[in-house]
Amino acid sequence: MRRLLLIARREYLAYVRTVGFWLSLIALPLVAVGSGFFVAMMENSSEARQMAVLDLTGADVGAAFARSLDKPDAIRVAPPPQTLASLTELGAADAEARILVGEDGALDAVVILTPSGEAISARYWSSRANDEAGEEAVTQALSELNRTRALVALGVDPAAVDRIDAAEPVVTVLSPASASGGEVSLQDRLPGLIGFIVAMTLWSLILTGASILLNSVMEEKANRVLEVLLSSASATELLAGKILGVALVTLTVLAVWGGFGAVALRFAAQQGGDLAPALSGALAGLARDGLWLWLVAYFVGGYLMYATVFAAIGSFCETPREAQTLIGPIMMILVVPVFVLQMAMRDPDLAIVRSLSWVPFFTPFLMSARAPSGPPLFELAGTLAVMVGFTVLIVWLAAKAFRAGALSTGKIDWRGVIGLVRGDR
Amino acid sequence: MSVILSLNDVSKRYGDFEAVKDLSFSVEKGSITGFLGPNGAGKTSSIRMILGLAAPTSGRIEVLGADDGRKVRDRIGFLPEERGLYRKMNPVDAVAYMAGLKGVPNAEGKRRARELLEAQGLGEALKRPMKALSKGMAQKVQLVSAIAHRPELVILDEPFSGLDPVNQQGLERMIRDLADQGATVLFSTHVMQHAERLCEKVVLMARGRKVFEGPVAEARAAAPRYLVLEGGLDAAGVQALPGVAEVEPAGGGFRARLAPGAQPQAALKAAFERGLDVTRFEAPEPSLHDAFIVLTGDDR
Repeated sequence: MRRLLLIARREYLAYVRTVGFWLSLIALPLVAVGSGFFVAMMENSSEARQMAVLDLTGADVGAAFARSLDKPDAIRVAPPPQTLASLTELGAADAEARILVGEDGALDAVVILTPSGEAISARYWSSRANDEAGEEAVTQALSELNRTRALVALGVDPAAVDRIDAAEPVVTVLSPASASGGEVSLQDRLPGLIGFIVAMTLWSLILTGASILLNSVMEEKANRVLEVLLSSASATELLAGKILGVALVTLTVLAVWGGFGAVALRFAAQQGGDLAPALSGALAGLARDGLWLWLVAYFVGGYLMYATVFAAIGSFCETPREAQTLIGPIMMILVVPVFVLQMAMRDPDLAIVRSLSWVPFFTPFLMSARAPSGPPLFELAGTLAVMVGFTVLIVWLAAKAFRAGALSTGKIDWRGVIGLVRGDR
Repeated sequence: MSVILSLNDVSKRYGDFEAVKDLSFSVEKGSITGFLGPNGAGKTSSIRMILGLAAPTSGRIEVLGADDGRKVRDRIGFLPEERGLYRKMNPVDAVAYMAGLKGVPNAEGKRRARELLEAQGLGEALKRPMKALSKGMAQKVQLVSAIAHRPELVILDEPFSGLDPVNQQGLERMIRDLADQGATVLFSTHVMQHAERLCEKVVLMARGRKVFEGPVAEARAAAPRYLVLEGGLDAAGVQALPGVAEVEPAGGGFRARLAPGAQPQAALKAAFERGLDVTRFEAPEPSLHDAFIVLTGDDR
């Protein structure tokens, strides 16, 4: 244990003393704050687009269409200029609209309404050739207009149509699994979100932390330090010490980021709304049924499993190119949870998600996302047991591989790795 | 003297390749033993087995009373053939870290590191990162890191490789000091001069097998003796001297190989008796290098 802690301490200090560590520590909070600031600036600086509507239908629908199209901060429908308003013929209107939205034109877009059988169609002139947002807004407003006209033609009171449009659907979601035993609230949804965040944090931790580990072992092998170390400590102590050291590095980063996040959430909660009660409710939800314990177990087990594999691979390599050959299959495995996680979030009990949860390489991600939805206890305990058993096997194999790899020289491939591991020390 | 290390019929096989075959030898406490052999003779494999880094395929090893080097790793100091230290660490921290892994408290490790490094003339480089040191300096730091925990058995794998003559001399002095302080030293090399100057005993390896174990003088005896003759001589006259097996021109005279067991004095006596014009007659002691060539079969 003394050696293990000494190795972990050296590993930790070696990274904490680098400039890169401090840069990565402040990079995310800076990017988060910077992005928020940038988005706010973008929102404040965006100007509403100036549009005009010319009604050539003869049905006097221009004003109603303009009201429907007008959206504060996005689209401002102004009265058409006299040069346009006076036109009654489509060809001339097209020509004038073209000028008005041209390079020195006064408007961003012009909508010309024309009759089309019983319905009304629109010609949308825009200053931009690619104006999907404008096209969508016009389509929506026109669809509303045509529907209202059709209903009125069937004898429905226009005021009733307006009331129907204004009415928002009210759906109350209820579940006996919710905190209240009835209505589902944000408080019930937050643990699921936290599970997803845990899974994604683990994923990024493996990509960054385990990569640090891989490079660290690779560097020691290239610098010929590993053989000296192996004469001073066992392969298991070396492996465990390095994994612990790098885990502490990444946990330090996560703790600092978590601290920034907590400050941000506190600030957001102070602004009012239902975030504060939902958060405290979600934390209570995590404590209920020991959910946080499951999440911690999956997180730690998952990290240990992948970190061990990466460290063992690093012991066989002296250059990133060599590592690339061996790491490829692991990276392919790591891609799968990203896709399946989305399915797990939508439907945690999907057969494919439940099946993949039993595959140790996917267990920590999928079960972290599924655990808040309350899967059967045998699935929680069973998948964890399989993952722990597999991790023990991996640690045992990796210790052998680590020693074999550390003492090996020359180029190595998968066949070479298997050969080295199969041979006794 | 008590035996501190013994190998009995030890073999090591990697797949179809047998790196070490039936190796047996022992090392006495407080001695300096040379572990000699050409490249690929099985020295590094044997050392790894002694340290417990590799398991023997068959045979038994006893080191410091244990049947596995890993059980007594804190009492062994090891300098591998391919060596290095953390490039960003300074020598004091590097030595203290390695000593720490062997059980020396950090403060004591740093104190010993400073003391040993200063004794090696590295006082100026104590705070410099390893990557800023010259190769010779770095090798000294590595050697210091192998002995800072005051091991009972020091195993050095090709410690002289890459060192300039001055540093080689310094290292020889260091090895002698270790032995004077009571440590047992086993070092591998393929440069015979170091072994000749340092060792009481040598173990010679060739193609995975031990070909000799014993005192340096005994090893030398295995080498053929030569005579150097100069003067008004011809090859036939020299060849006719008693005990001479082969003659070849050398410098201004001849170099004659004696048959095994032949005495140089008999050849000298015969030369005088036959009235040969001899201005120089020399029968130099064979070197360990000569013995090495013969014993390892590299003369074929």
